[in-house]
Amino acid sequence: MPAGASAKAGDILISRQLAAERGLVVGSIVQLAADAAGTGARTFRIAGIYEPTPDPARLGAVPREVRLHLPDLLDVTRPPGQQPGTEYIANINIALVDRADATAFSRDVNARMPGLIARPSSEAAGAAGPFRVLERFHLAIAVVTIVAATVFLLALTIMLVDERRETVGILRLIGLPARRVLVQVLIEGVIVAGAGAAFGLVLALLSEGLINAFFQWRYDTALVFVRITRDVAFTSAAIAIPLGASATVLASWALLRRSGLRLARR
Amino acid sequence: MNALAFAWRSLVRQPARATLGVLGVAAVGALLFDMLLLSQGLIVSMRDLLARSGWDIRVSAGDLPGRGGRVSAATSTAERIAALPSVKAALMVRVANAQIERSGGGPPIGDAPSIGGGPPIAAVFEGIGGRSRHREPIAPPWTVVRGREARGDTEVVIDSAIAAAANLQVGGTITLRASCVSDREALPPARLTVVGIAEFPFAGTNEDAIGGSLDALKAACGGNVGDEADLLLVTSVGEPAETAAAIRAEIPHLNALTNDQVVGRLQQTGFTYFRQISAVLTTITVSFAVLLIAVLLTVSVNQRLGEIAALRALGFSRWRVVTDVLSESALIVGSGGILSLPLGLLLASGLDRILKEMPGIPADLHFFVFERDALFTHIGLLVATAVIAALYPMRIVSSLPIAATLRDEVIG
Amino acid sequence: MPDVIVDAQHVGRAFAMPAGPVHAVRDVTLQIRAGDHVAVRGPSGCGKSTLLHMLGCVDAPSSGTLLFDGRDVATLSDARRSALRLTRIGFIFQRFFLLPMLTAAENVELPLSEAGASKRDRQLRTKELLDYVGLSARADHRPSQLSGGEMQRVAIARALANRPQLLLADEPTGELDEATGAQIAALLDRVNADGTALVIVTHDHTLAERAARVLTMRDGCIEQETRQ
Repeated sequence: MPAGASAKAGDILISRQLAAERGLVVGSIVQLAADAAGTGARTFRIAGIYEPTPDPARLGAVPREVRLHLPDLLDVTRPPGQQPGTEYIANINIALVDRADATAFSRDVNARMPGLIARPSSEAAGAAGPFRVLERFHLAIAVVTIVAATVFLLALTIMLVDERRETVGILRLIGLPARRVLVQVLIEGVIVAGAGAAFGLVLALLSEGLINAFFQWRYDTALVFVRITRDVAFTSAAIAIPLGASATVLASWALLRRSGLRLARR
Repeated sequence: MNALAFAWRSLVRQPARATLGVLGVAAVGALLFDMLLLSQGLIVSMRDLLARSGWDIRVSAGDLPGRGGRVSAATSTAERIAALPSVKAALMVRVANAQIERSGGGPPIGDAPSIGGGPPIAAVFEGIGGRSRHREPIAPPWTVVRGREARGDTEVVIDSAIAAAANLQVGGTITLRASCVSDREALPPARLTVVGIAEFPFAGTNEDAIGGSLDALKAACGGNVGDEADLLLVTSVGEPAETAAAIRAEIPHLNALTNDQVVGRLQQTGFTYFRQISAVLTTITVSFAVLLIAVLLTVSVNQRLGEIAALRALGFSRWRVVTDVLSESALIVGSGGILSLPLGLLLASGLDRILKEMPGIPADLHFFVFERDALFTHIGLLVATAVIAALYPMRIVSSLPIAATLRDEVIG
Repeated sequence: MPDVIVDAQHVGRAFAMPAGPVHAVRDVTLQIRAGDHVAVRGPSGCGKSTLLHMLGCVDAPSSGTLLFDGRDVATLSDARRSALRLTRIGFIFQRFFLLPMLTAAENVELPLSEAGASKRDRQLRTKELLDYVGLSARADHRPSQLSGGEMQRVAIARALANRPQLLLADEPTGELDEATGAQIAALLDRVNADGTALVIVTHDHTLAERAARVLTMRDGCIEQETRQ
């Protein structure tokens, strides 16, 4: 860029990815235009490099972003012949003192200013937002996985309970009621299922780090892909422990329907 | 009795266990099959959709059609492209958001919105204009199923959802406001005549669509339309790749992509998440199945060590008892695998329905598409699962100390 | 001179244990000839079953040589030893070890099938054997539907399927009552009378008394051999 250009150049920020791609650094002088032909190009100085907020909707796309002051942006994008001050802006983002006021505030703006549409950010995507859809997709897969796991769990518990049939038969023959045996089995089932759930959570926490590290590297993004929240951990345990305990009790109940003599016979 | 028949009898001996094992494999196999369908489904479907559209090349300002701003000086750009010897036709497409008034309210007073009838219907208005080499009529990116094509600046075609929601027939009048410049603008309504009902293959699942000329779109936007296009569609005389190269040479600042190139770009960007999740879930599913079948077989074998030792003592060879275990694994996985196919197709249709609700996904695009390769891969993975899951129990029976086991059985 | 089926010379079997090796069988020399009827007796842990397993090529000696039909068992591959057990040796166990999911006929047919006999031959031989042990009427019954004595008879029929030269029985009446045990003993006598060499490990003295040779073991050695 010419030596005197920097003196008149406005400041801009560019994304890290753009800086890396074009070999730009803080202090570099660049030209920005609204089209590839370079119409109305203006000179700017790179005042800083920022990490763009990851946009899940644009996963895989390299965020080549530039941030300008609004008057500079309007100057660059204004069509030839258009008077300054007649431009439009697409959105105004508002940060409220109290976030809980968002819905009431939106309603107020909509009522006072027809032609404007105000809505809380949380409602922006709506039910059909891509992440709501993905959430439903992931939930469907989780349900199938749980069903498959439950089926296998039942098969395994039937086998494991069957291994103890002789012991159970002897206990019944010496007078222990079936209910007592079932309670014993339930306690064992809860302990084993609890230990399994805890192990599963540890495995999930380890995987969380690995999965995030891999995908953040793969897509060059700061986006977090997997997060084990307290709710997720609680829900997993709340599903796993009763399932595991129930499977053991169910398998034992099927066994206990037979007489102690039959069970104890080798 | 051969190994398979023996394995069958071993499984039938414990019907509950065997049934649950098979059902478990069926459920896991269904998920595996779906992930294989998903891995290439979007690509196959998109390729098919693009091919069916009849347009070979998409020209846009951004790296992908629909992204990165509009093509400026669209009319002259389209003319330059249409003038290229390898181009048969070039069509400008401009898209705007529209709000359609529902009928059922009182007659409108001047330009004020009509009252009653319910909230407006949100839709996408596609305006087209272009030229072909020999002035032939250009097929629009929609298909008229009733009525005729729209002509001029007062006619439009609508999709059947709008027709139903707004109680419109062919010949009726549609009142709408379109925003051509920004997302939402406060503009006077435009009244246009519905001349046809059409199908819009690239409209989203939850998206309603209107089609008409660029002039009609301009009228709907209150004249507030620059000479810009969101996309230029091109058909070529010869090879699309050569035509795309010619367009890039003519207009270097625009991106001209053949259908294959569009699919390739999408594979690297928008569709990549589904390929990744497909790969991750395929790996997890196969590992899960291997682990669980291995545990089932191992516990089953451990419960029968005495019998196996006795068979070995009677003269059954090591190979024979190992084959028995492998056959059991094959039977469980094979039976479950067969069940997994219809189950997987059923699950895929449900998952497809969920994913198609994503905004911007064309209604005719599918995430799960049946391909023979996916079926063969599925079979291959199940075979591998059966073999790998059986390795440890096979090792147990192969290295079983016959005498020690017989002794332990007596003592035990 | 009747053929020597098994020729054991100074065979021993030691098991490695954490506290040091345990010599289950020490320096045993014996021969089993065609048609022999041998009983092996002794207190628990004296090595009777271990000796039986070695004679049946189920286990290999740690020392000495063991020849079966003149071939050194230690030099045979596992596949060859399996083939020997399938065609030349029959085994009967204390716990029968019938496959519970197969009928009596199918259990008897197993070794025939493994030896590659045709379907017709298998069916004929199975019928013949079940007639021999008096269980033709129970051919289609599963082991859970048979008594202990009947199960052992099916096991004997199975052991005889491929016309073995040598039948080895490890406590064949161990889980049976006296009367049933006597029936099994009579059946085994008949098998021996029909030409099959028989070696029985047993605590049952009435069973042992029916044998022509009785070997008494103690601490892994043959303490005494009695001919009756």
